[in-house]
Amino acid sequence: MGRTAYLQGQKAAGRKVAAVWPARYPAELLWAHGVCPAEVWDPPAGQALAGAHLQSYVCGIVRQGLELLLSGGLTTADILLFPHTCDSIQNLGSLVRDLVHEPRPCLYFYPPRSGRSERAAVYLEAQLRTLSADLTRIAGPLRDGALEGALALGNGRAAALRHMYDLRARGALDASNEEFYGAVRTCEYLWPEDAVLHLEAFMKTHAGRPRRGVPLVLSGVLPAPSDLAQRLDGLSVAVVEDDLLACGRRFARALLPEPGDPWRAMAARLLALPPCSTAGDSVEDRASFLAEQVERTGGRGVLVLALKFCEPELFQIPSLVDAMRGRGIPVLAVETELGNSAPAGMMTRVEAFLESLP
Amino acid sequence: MTLGMELRYRWMKDVALPVLLKARERNRRKGSIGESPLGPPLESTRSLKRLMTRHYALARYAEGARPVAWVTSGAPVELLRAFGCYSVYPENHAALCGARRMGPEICTRAEEAGFSRDLCSYARVDLGHALSGLTPVGRLPRPDVLFCTNNICQTILYWFKELSHREGIPLVLFDTPFISVGEGTPEVFDYVAGQIKDAVPALERITGREFREDRFHEVLRSSIRASALWGEVLATMRHRPAPMTVFDAFVHLAPVVSLRGLPSCERYYEGLLAELQERVSRDVAAVPGERHRLMWDNIAIWFALAPLSRLFAEHGCAGVAGTYPNAWAETNHYLDLADPFGSLAKTYALIFLNRGLDYRLGLMEAMGRDYQVDGLVLHSARSCKPYSVGQYDLRRSLAGRLGIKSVVLEGDMTDFRTWSEEQARTRLTAFFESLDG
Ligand code: SF4
Repeated sequence: MGRTAYLQGQKAAGRKVAAVWPARYPAELLWAHGVCPAEVWDPPAGQALAGAHLQSYVCGIVRQGLELLLSGGLTTADILLFPHTCDSIQNLGSLVRDLVHEPRPCLYFYPPRSGRSERAAVYLEAQLRTLSADLTRIAGPLRDGALEGALALGNGRAAALRHMYDLRARGALDASNEEFYGAVRTCEYLWPEDAVLHLEAFMKTHAGRPRRGVPLVLSGVLPAPSDLAQRLDGLSVAVVEDDLLACGRRFARALLPEPGDPWRAMAARLLALPPCSTAGDSVEDRASFLAEQVERTGGRGVLVLALKFCEPELFQIPSLVDAMRGRGIPVLAVETELGNSAPAGMMTRVEAFLESLP
Repeated sequence: MTLGMELRYRWMKDVALPVLLKARERNRRKGSIGESPLGPPLESTRSLKRLMTRHYALARYAEGARPVAWVTSGAPVELLRAFGCYSVYPENHAALCGARRMGPEICTRAEEAGFSRDLCSYARVDLGHALSGLTPVGRLPRPDVLFCTNNICQTILYWFKELSHREGIPLVLFDTPFISVGEGTPEVFDYVAGQIKDAVPALERITGREFREDRFHEVLRSSIRASALWGEVLATMRHRPAPMTVFDAFVHLAPVVSLRGLPSCERYYEGLLAELQERVSRDVAAVPGERHRLMWDNIAIWFALAPLSRLFAEHGCAGVAGTYPNAWAETNHYLDLADPFGSLAKTYALIFLNRGLDYRLGLMEAMGRDYQVDGLVLHSARSCKPYSVGQYDLRRSLAGRLGIKSVVLEGDMTDFRTWSEEQARTRLTAFFESLDG
């Protein structure tokens, strides 16, 4: 079933749908209110309408997301949620509500940047309660035990993702890069129970020996352009891990003990996600996380996908590259853009990188 | 900090620099400015040059004598001053590099180290400077602490984190949540105020100096007054004809950005205000024959400030209001000695760049009316996303609300590699002509 049909089904089942812009947000809170998040990363939209509102130097995620909205591609959504990920998404959220006059409720969520401190946790918790009050107005109040239930759903989905990433890393998944990321990215819109079913079915179908290839770890925002995973398959690259913002940077690699209070637990869960440029985490932390993945999975190098105009990533990449090299890990950073096909020049560089690997 | 360094610093500050600067001024030949469409230049510009030259010159001697801090333009510098820190503003330094047309040269150094050309050019100038030492001011002192607030953008956070990582300098950060809707909540202000309080022991550790509340209050008082004076300076442009232009404001805002909280800053604006008030009383026009009054949105195009100022004047257009210069007069009224930390949180969290576009639209509309503006020039700065994303719609909305015409200039603050002087001139000329009807 396609994404739109699936979301219409969710609405028919009595749930609300929220279009959610990248990247990290409390999905559990939305589930607890009976709202199904449908994330807007790289929709196959042009940029013709968005061009009247946004300059050409704004990143593709922001431009294509706005295009989708303006061209009526988000009609299933009852709510729009803009997590504060970067300056561009910040202004997009404001633009849509204040100047484009979107009639549906626009909600905002600010992930704190002051480290993983107690102060950040307290502020995060206060924000979760504010967001919950907004959701109550739109989707109705929380039922007894709804938060605990949603936290359990989140645990279940994270466990399924961890399992799938683990199988891939251990060489026990007979799936191409394209198939793997196709499956992982269904989490962007499936209700968590459906996501778990889908991932489990995928693991079952694809159980077996891995395809042979050069084991690489991917870093960056998302596997873009859309044929990238396929092109990497063509080059016999076997991606074994990633810290992609849309994928592996959104679930903790280990199940951590959580506070008993569900609000606290939700805040703690967000603060326990892997290091991220958008959260203001240090490059040392990010590099250590990546190096750990390289070591754990036997990756022979790191391929960094630097998304054009993505400020948080572009600031961190030079030092990340240095840090990887400093640890003796081969690394290549290439500039990418959303779109259908990876430019030849970029793939040539990837090929040369693969040839240079020890 | 050593006694020798302290003595050297004091000697430079109180004896050598004043003499050197006077001598320099005496020796500077008066160049002819030729035919100018502009009114008489502001006398205060000389004091400004003296003040800022002294600030950068003295900075070189601050290392080892004072704790040195590199500070972002929206950071609560009042706290730092209570520790006697010498403050350097990389954004101000980048603007200076831009004005001296050194932007691309320094940016290239950062790009060679892997930083994308699409990143904020202020950041590239600063990182390029850190990598190469290139600067028009001789040398910037190495900081003991980086002092950063993300109320102007998240870019500044990535940039200062990068500096901290590369140079191994401690970073004191204040996270100011973006206020998308409304006036901010107690949770936001508590969160920010808590971080400012947390910075006190951190700064005591880094500077080796004790926090002195009396000194802190003195600085706050001075900061309140400097911002209020700056507000009055800008308000003189409400007069017809305006006694100065927004281009002058871009130049004369340097002290309120960089020296806020110091007596020299207050003194400077007292002088500037007196000069402007005197001009107002005599109807001295910054643009003789002022026909149109314009508002400028976004940071200046530093490398083109002088030609743009002349071009405006040639067409009888006076830039009389600017969202950027206004930022330093906008929220300091929240400062309250009875609640220094809570009021600092409000002052710095509520600046317009940290608020939704609805707020910015209201602010621009009010400015448009207060300053009787009949046109709007929007600088779409390609490397400053927080200021620029949304401008196309702001423009449309303002046209509806104020009934004014507008023009967008695609440019940048310091990096002129994508700037076409010719194209800008053509666009602006057509715009000015359309104002004449
Ligand atoms: S992105 Fe804009 S607001 Fe931020 S530092 Fe650069 S010029 Fe200033």
